[in-house]
Amino acid sequence: MATFSVSSEAEVLGAVRGAREGSRTLEIVGHGTKRDFGRPLECDDVLDLSGLSGIVNYEPDEMIITARAGTPVAEIEAALAEHNQRLGFEPADWGPLFGASANSATIGGVLSASCDGSAAIRYGRCRDHLLGFRAVNGFGEAYKGGGKVVKNVTGFDLPKLFCGAMGTLGPLTEVTLRLFPRPPLIRTVAVTDVSRFAAMNLLRRIWSSPLEATGLSYVPKVSGAAFGALGEFGAGAALVRLDGTDAALSEKIAMLRELVERHDVIDLDGGDRTFRKIASGESFAGMLQDVWLVRQPPYQPGDYEESEREAAYQDMWVADWAGALIWRAGTPGKNGAHLHQMQKLSGGSAQLIRASEQTRQRAQVFAREEPVRAELTQRVKAAFDPLHLFNPGRMWEGV
Amino acid sequence: MIALPQPDPQIVQRRTEIVAALKHLVPDGVVSEPAGLAAYDGDALTAYRQAPLACVLPKLKDEVSAVLALAHEMGVPIVPRGAGTSLSGGALPRADGILLSFGRMNRILDIDLDNRCVTAEPGVTNAAITRAVEGQGFYYAPDPSSQIACTIGGNIAENSGGLHCLKYGLTTHNLLGVEFALPDGERIRCGGKAPGGDGLDLLGVVTGSEGLLGVVTEATVRILPKPPCTRTLLVAFHSVPDAGACVANIIAAGIVPAAMEFMDRRCIEAVEVYCAPGYPTTEAILIIEIDGLAAEVADGVARINEIARASGAHEVREAADEAERARLWKGRKAAFSAMGRLAPDMLCMDGTIPRRALPAVLARMAEMAKEYDLGFCNVFHAGDGNLHPLIIFDVMTPGELERAEAFGAEILRLCVAVGGVLTGEHGVGVEKRDLMPEMFSEADLAQQQRLKCAFDAAGLLNPGKVFPTLSACIEQGHAHVKRGAMRHAGLPRF
Repeated sequence: MATFSVSSEAEVLGAVRGAREGSRTLEIVGHGTKRDFGRPLECDDVLDLSGLSGIVNYEPDEMIITARAGTPVAEIEAALAEHNQRLGFEPADWGPLFGASANSATIGGVLSASCDGSAAIRYGRCRDHLLGFRAVNGFGEAYKGGGKVVKNVTGFDLPKLFCGAMGTLGPLTEVTLRLFPRPPLIRTVAVTDVSRFAAMNLLRRIWSSPLEATGLSYVPKVSGAAFGALGEFGAGAALVRLDGTDAALSEKIAMLRELVERHDVIDLDGGDRTFRKIASGESFAGMLQDVWLVRQPPYQPGDYEESEREAAYQDMWVADWAGALIWRAGTPGKNGAHLHQMQKLSGGSAQLIRASEQTRQRAQVFAREEPVRAELTQRVKAAFDPLHLFNPGRMWEGV
Repeated sequence: MIALPQPDPQIVQRRTEIVAALKHLVPDGVVSEPAGLAAYDGDALTAYRQAPLACVLPKLKDEVSAVLALAHEMGVPIVPRGAGTSLSGGALPRADGILLSFGRMNRILDIDLDNRCVTAEPGVTNAAITRAVEGQGFYYAPDPSSQIACTIGGNIAENSGGLHCLKYGLTTHNLLGVEFALPDGERIRCGGKAPGGDGLDLLGVVTGSEGLLGVVTEATVRILPKPPCTRTLLVAFHSVPDAGACVANIIAAGIVPAAMEFMDRRCIEAVEVYCAPGYPTTEAILIIEIDGLAAEVADGVARINEIARASGAHEVREAADEAERARLWKGRKAAFSAMGRLAPDMLCMDGTIPRRALPAVLARMAEMAKEYDLGFCNVFHAGDGNLHPLIIFDVMTPGELERAEAFGAEILRLCVAVGGVLTGEHGVGVEKRDLMPEMFSEADLAQQQRLKCAFDAAGLLNPGKVFPTLSACIEQGHAHVKRGAMRHAGLPRF
C-alpha cells in the first residue's frame, strides 16, 4: 500500500491518473479523524489530502471563503473569527469520538461526512452552505461544480451531491462556502427538570416560534453525567441558544419565558461549548457501546411511546435540532436492522457512526435504499467514478 | 436568436398514434387540436414560440408515470411544465415533444404544523402554499414575483428565488423532500420530514435541474413562523454607485435584511407612470425590508439608517403602515410590467456578481446600452448581487432582437468575468444555454452531462435546454464519454 501525500490539484490529478492506469483503489483521507466512519475500506493505496491545505481566498465583505480541501476547520474558523464571521452550519468535530485529536478535522472531511452542528437547525446543514468546489473525478479530470456567489442556479447543483457523499464521488480539492455574521451576543439557557416528552414538545414549540433559536437540544438525565452540571438538572435539561443585540436578546428571553410556562430557566455559561459537545458526539467518546445517529421528523405521534421504543432510551442519548437528530448509544455488535426498520416507519433514517470494524462490516451503516433508488445511486456513482477507484463500498456495496 | 429545433419527422409522423396512446392513458386530459395547443406554445421567454406535438394534463402520479413510460418506449421527448412562467425558456415546448403539464395536479396533500411542513402536488401554486397555512401563522418563504401563478413543481425545477431569499434562501433551502419520476416512469423518494441522512443528496441535485433529471410528482416544503414585525425602508440616492456602495456596506456590517432591492432612474420613472407607488424622482432607490422580533428589527432599522446616510442617501423613508408598505412593494413587483409598457419586447437578464463588483458592473452596463443603442433599466436583488437588467426592444424592428440578445449575452459574460455566474434564479433554459461555456470548461460540462446520463440515458427529459451540445451516454462509463457526438441525429436542439 502506498500513500500519496499531495499538496496541489495537479498532484491529486497525477495520483488519480496513476490509480486509473493501475486499476488501484484509493482511500481518500484528510487528517484521518473519521477513517472509522462508514463501511470498512480495503483500498490499495491512500490519497492523503492533508497537505492540500490553506485558505485560497477570504473576502469578509462578500461573506465567502475559498479553501483547499485539506484545510483544518479550526484554521478556517480562526480566520473568520478575526472578522466576526462564522460558518452557518457550525461544523461538528467528530475527531474525539473516534479517538483522534480535537481540532484537526479538515473542511473536506467535515463536508464529506456532513458533520453539521446545532446551529444547522437555524442556518441549514453544510449542503446549504457549500457554494462551489473543485474536484478530480474517476475519469482523471479536474473540474468544478457550482460557483462562488451566494445565489446561483447555473447548471446542476453538484455541491449538494458532495456533502455527505463520504468521498465516494472523488476527492474534493477546493471548496467555497458562504459565511454568516457572528451575532453581537449569544445566550444559552437551560430549561431544567423536563422529561423527554415535555422537552421535545417544548423544543418544537420554540422552533415554531419567531425566536430563530440557533440551538435546540436536550440532555436527558441518563446522559447528564457526561455534561457536568447539566446532570444535576432533574429529569433532563432542554438547551436553547438565542442571539442578537442586547435589546433583541432581552425581548427573546422574555418570549422564551412565556413559551416554557412553568419550567425553570437558568442561564448557562459556555453554551457554545455545550452545543459543540452535543454535535460532536464527544460525550460518547469513552463508551464501549456503538454510536448511532438517528434523523427523524421532530414530531413523533403518540405511539412513539410504545414500550419497545421506550427501551431505546435506556442507554445514553442526546437530542439536537429540536428532536430531529438523536445521538444514541447501542449494544455493541448489533446490525441495526431493527433500528433502521423503526426509523423507516417513522419517516427517518439511522446511521451507524462508531462501531468496531467487524460490526461495520456486517451492519447496515447507512440505511438501505429502495431498489430503484439504489440503482440510480449506482449510476450516479459511476457518473463520477466509473472504475470505483474512490472509497469503494464506503456507503454501500458498490458505492 | 437561437434557432428553434427542426422537429424529428419520424416522431411527428407518428403524432396520431402518440395522441391516441396518450388519450388511452389520460382520457380527459389530452390537448391535441392546434387551437388548444396554441395556448401552450411557450413560457415567459416570449420571443420564442413553438407549439408542442401534444399536451397532456395528468391528474394522478400514476398517470405521470404512465405518460413517461410511454414516451420512453416510443422515444418521444418530454417537456415538463408548471405554470409556464419560466423566464429562460425552461418550459418551451418542442414540436416533436409531449408537453407534460401539471395544471391539474394542484392539491395540497398534507399540512403538518407539528413538523412545520406542507406536502403538495407539483401543480400547486407557490402562493397557495402560504395561503394554506397563513391562518395558523406560517408561510412558505421563497417568493418569486410570479408567485400567484408559478407552481411549486416549477419552483423546484428552476430552484426559484424571490425577493426575500437574501435571508430565507432559495427553493433548495426550503425544500425537505420530493418524489420524482425517472424517464421510464419509475418514481423515487428523496428527503422527507427528517433532515437528510438518506444517502446521496439526490434531492439537492434534482432541485434546479430544469426538468433534465426527473419530473417531480410530489413535494414537501418547510414552512416558517411569520415574523411578528416587518419594517420597510425606501432609501434614495443621487447616484447609482452610492446605492451600490450602500448595499455593500450593509452586507459588510453583518446585517442580513429580509430583502434589499435596487431600482434605477429609468425603472423608477416607468413604475411611477405605471402604478404610482410614490417613489422619489432620483437616480437610484433601495427598498430594504427587515423582519423578526420588534427590538431586533428596530435595531436593524437604526443601523441601516446610519449606513445609508453615511453612504450618501438623500432620503430614507419608512413605510408608515401596511398600506404604504404594500405600495412600496407594488412598485418593485410591477417593474417588469412597467418596463414592458415602454416597448413591445423585453429581455430580462439574471446574472449574479460578487457584491463588491456592483458599482463597476452597473457603470459598464450603462456604457454597453449606449453601444447597443437599446433602452434598458436596472432592477435587481441587490442583497445577493443578483442583477436583473431589463432590455427593451421591438422584435419587429429588423436587427433589434439580435442586438438585444447580444447585449444580454455581453452582460452575462461580464458577470462571469468579474467572478459571478450566468443565472442566479431564472435558470439556463434555452436562453443562456449557449453561454454555458463562458462559465464552465469542457471538463465541467462533461461531468454535468454524465450526471444527466445517470438519470436520463436516452436524453428524453427536456432536451435542448441547459447544455450547448449533446453528448452520448455510454452505459458502461469505463470509456471516456465521447463529447460532441450527436446522439439521435434526428433529435434536434433548440
